[in-house]
Amino acid sequence: MIDFRLVQKPQRYIGNEINSIKKSHHGKIPICISYPDLYEIGMSNLGLRLIYGMFNEFEDVACERVFLPGEDLAKILAGNNIKLFSLETKTALDSFEAVGFNLSCELNSVNLLKILKLGGIPLKASERKELIVFAGGIANPEPLAEFVDLFYLGEFEEGIGKFVETFRKYKDKNERLKALSEIDGFYVPQFYNVSISSNRYNFDRLYKPAQFPLKRIYVENLDKSYYPLNWLTPHTQIIHDRVPVEIARGCPNSCTFCQARSIYKPYREKKVSTIYNIAKTIYKNSGYENISLLSLSASDYSKIEELLDVLISEFKDKRVGLSLPSLRIDDTLSSLYRKLLFLKKTSLTVALEAASDGLREKLGKKIDANKLFETAKIIKSLNLRTIKLYLMIGFPEETEEDLFAIASFLEKLQINTGLSINVSINIFVPKPFSLWETKWMCREEILEEKIKLVLGSLKRRRNINVSISQTKRSILEAILSRADRNFSRVIMKVFEACGYGTTEDWQLWQTAIKECGLDYKIYLESSYENFPWSFIDGCKASASQNNRGN
Amino acid sequence: MQTEKFGTKLTIEKSGDMIYFSQLDLASILTRALRRAGLALYYTQGFNPRVKMSFGRALKLGIEGTEEVTIYFTEKISPEGLKQKLLPQMPQGLRII
Repeated sequence: MIDFRLVQKPQRYIGNEINSIKKSHHGKIPICISYPDLYEIGMSNLGLRLIYGMFNEFEDVACERVFLPGEDLAKILAGNNIKLFSLETKTALDSFEAVGFNLSCELNSVNLLKILKLGGIPLKASERKELIVFAGGIANPEPLAEFVDLFYLGEFEEGIGKFVETFRKYKDKNERLKALSEIDGFYVPQFYNVSISSNRYNFDRLYKPAQFPLKRIYVENLDKSYYPLNWLTPHTQIIHDRVPVEIARGCPNSCTFCQARSIYKPYREKKVSTIYNIAKTIYKNSGYENISLLSLSASDYSKIEELLDVLISEFKDKRVGLSLPSLRIDDTLSSLYRKLLFLKKTSLTVALEAASDGLREKLGKKIDANKLFETAKIIKSLNLRTIKLYLMIGFPEETEEDLFAIASFLEKLQINTGLSINVSINIFVPKPFSLWETKWMCREEILEEKIKLVLGSLKRRRNINVSISQTKRSILEAILSRADRNFSRVIMKVFEACGYGTTEDWQLWQTAIKECGLDYKIYLESSYENFPWSFIDGCKASASQNNRGN
Repeated sequence: MQTEKFGTKLTIEKSGDMIYFSQLDLASILTRALRRAGLALYYTQGFNPRVKMSFGRALKLGIEGTEEVTIYFTEKISPEGLKQKLLPQMPQGLRII
C-alpha cells in the first residue's frame, strides 16, 4: 500500500466523495474516465461529471474516475511498480474495458500518456489488444491519433447509449471499434489513411463502412438532456469550487477568433424552470455554497433577468452565492447588474478582446466600449473592487495603433471609474473550426515586439495590472491544436524526455520536433489547401431516436 | 436579520481515509453536510457569510482522533437531534460521537 502521508495533498487520491458511485464490477462493463490533469482541476470540469453520471445510469456499467497524480505520487507508483488506480474502487487502470479522456485542453496531451503509462496500459492504440482508449472534447483529434482508439466528435450525451450498446453486443476490441465507426460521431483513426498529395490532406477509408466525412453531433433538446443532479461533492477545495449550472450551450455571437462558438453550435437554451429545478436539486444533494450560471455568454440568455429573480429568491436566505461568468457592457446599463449585487459579485468582467473600435469590428465583437465610460457612474455605485478585462493581441491586420489603443483605453477607463483594473492579455491562436482557422499564427519574434510595445506603453500605471500569455506557450497551444498525425511522434518523444515532470518546457518540444524532422511552422501558417481536421465537416443533431440504451 | 444564536457542541472522530483531510477541509465538509441536512443555520455577518462554528484543538493531518466543534443555529437543537440529522450526511470515516 501507498503511504499517502508521503505525498502532497493526499486528498486527491482518496475518492469517497459525497455522491461518488461505487459498484461491484461483477457482470458489469467497467469504464474509467479521466480529465488528464490534477484532481482539483479535473473535478472542476463539467463534461466529465456529465459522462460519469450518464454512464452510471446504466445498471450494467460501472464508471469510475482517475486524474493525473502529482509528480511525487507518480514517482512512487513507477518506482514501486504499483499501477495507477481509479478513485472509486482503487482498481488498476489496465483492468478496465475502456478508459476515456476529456481532451478539451490541448496542453494535456502528454498527461494522457503519463496516465496510460502509470496505469500499465500500452501507449499506442495498435499495441492494445483488449482495452479501448476513447476520448472527446477535442476539436482536432489528429495529433493524438496514434494513442487513442476511438474519438467522439461533439456532445457525448448523444453517443453514450450506442457506446454502451456496442460494448454489450461485442466483446472483441476490433468488433467494437468497427461497429462504433459506423455510427454518427464516432471516429476510429486507424480506419482512415491520411496522406498529403497535391498540397492537400487526403482521407481514405481503410474500413469502408466507417463514417465519412464525419459530423460533429450535438444535443438537439438541451432542456431535456441529462444533468448530473447527484452532484459529486469533493471533500477538499477544487479550482472552481462551485456548482456550474448550465443555462445555455453554444453562443449566438460570431466572433471570428472563437472556437467554442463553432464547436458548441448551435445556440441552445434551457428553460428557466428547468434551470431552477436543477439548481435547487443540486443544492439539496450537495450543500454547495456557490452556484455559477454556465454558458459561453450568460447575458445573452433570453430570460436572464427572470432567471436571476427566481434564483435569488430561492437562494438568498440560504446564503448561496450566485455568479455569472461574463457580462456584456450593456448589462451595466440595465437593472441586471443591480441584481448581481445580491450575488456577492465583487468584480465586473468584460471580454473586450480589442481596445480599438476598428479592430473589434473586424473580430465581429459587438461591444460598444464607449458605454463603459457612459456607465462609469453606475459602475462606481456598484461597490465593485475591480474591473477585469480580457484583451487579445497577435491578430492578423493588427496595427501599431491598435496596440497603443490598449494603454489609452485602460487609462481612460481607470480615470473614469477610479477602480483598479486587472487586464489579462491573451495571444490569438487560429483555432480549428473558428471563422479564422485559415489565418496565420503571428510569428514569435513579432509577438515579442508587440508585447514589448504594449507593456512599454503601460509602464508605471498604478491600478492597472497586466498579465500577458507567454508567446512560447501560445505557439505550443497553436501547434498542438492544429497539427496532423505526424505529431503523435513528437508527443511521444516529449513524454519520454519529461518523465512525470513538467511538459510545458518549450525546449523539450523544440528538441522533440527537431528529432522527428518536422517543421512546426507548416501547422501555423496554413501551408496546405485544407487542414488535418478537414475530414470533419459540419455538425448535425443525432438522427437516432433510441440512443439512450436502458 | 438573525439575532439570537444557539450553539450545539459535537465531538467528531476522524478515522480511515478521512485522516488525510485538513482542518480547512473538515470545516467545508461539515458546512455542506449541515446545508444538506437543511438545518436552521446561523451565518456570520459581513460580505461573505459563513456557517458559524468554532473548533476545539485541531487534529494533525494523517492522525486518527477526535475533535470538538460547536455549531450555531437560529433555533435550539439538542446534540442528540443534531446528531440524528447530520449522521446520514457524513462521509465514511467521519463519525459523530
